[in-house]
Amino acid sequence: MSDVLHECPPGQGEDQVPPPSRSALDAEAVKVAYRRWAGVYDTVFGGISGVGRRRAVEAVNALSGRNVLEVGVGTGLALPFYTQDKCITGIDLSGDMLARARERVQKEHLTNVDGLLEMDAEETSFADASFDIAVAMFVASVVPHPRKLLRELKRVVRPGGHILFVNHFLAPTGVRGAVERGMARASRSLGWHPDFAMESLLPPEDLARACIQPVPPLGLFTLVTLDRI
Amino acid sequence: MLMSGAEISPPLDARLLSVLVCPVTKGPLTYDATTNELISPQARLAFPVRDGIPVMLPEEARHLEG
Repeated sequence: MSDVLHECPPGQGEDQVPPPSRSALDAEAVKVAYRRWAGVYDTVFGGISGVGRRRAVEAVNALSGRNVLEVGVGTGLALPFYTQDKCITGIDLSGDMLARARERVQKEHLTNVDGLLEMDAEETSFADASFDIAVAMFVASVVPHPRKLLRELKRVVRPGGHILFVNHFLAPTGVRGAVERGMARASRSLGWHPDFAMESLLPPEDLARACIQPVPPLGLFTLVTLDRI
Repeated sequence: MLMSGAEISPPLDARLLSVLVCPVTKGPLTYDATTNELISPQARLAFPVRDGIPVMLPEEARHLEG
């Protein structure tokens, strides 16, 4: 366990975070959902999320630092967009998705991919400060404990590095909010939470200092950049 | 490099291998080329490498005897 994991004082741990209308998704449910989705994932989800993915990789490319961890690399949809000066390590909980990512890396000769590994994003197999940048695309709302994910990414990113999230975050009010709360009921089969609030991921002190940018054109997704202090 | 084709040992980028630790103990790992596994001596676990993809999940690991 690293020091970072102890930053959270007793009494403010995972259990105390109010679950803001999230239905529970355990790791096995996520794995099963993505096994079902693996074949059609690129067509169904790749299209909608492509803009968010591209925007996140652009942001990564613009940052200094060479070693990048992509959390929830999935079928590797974002891998072709990284510049050559970045070295990418991709992790995912789904072996089926990773097998497709590996095919993509070979087919497209993506020489800047250092490795693809099957692991739990909340409990990775990396030493402290292993990466300059960690980027999690559409992951924060599918892991069982988003705050634990954040702590783990803080651990594996070196001080002075950067942690990026692109996700769909709950629109608190209005028509979109109502639709999303309706969709939340289907989240177990969907594998992600349409009703995911940013506060579930970021504690108040991180929320206050994070750079939060809506991703055009629709603003359906949000890019969150947090400097690792 | 992992992606350069057939089985090459170790099947991982050297830098990546150097920062890889056991997910259970956060202790060191060694690559066993004969079994194509990443060994955690402290946890007595062997993590398989399937098609060039290390599976770093304790529930998928093989328990080492002795």
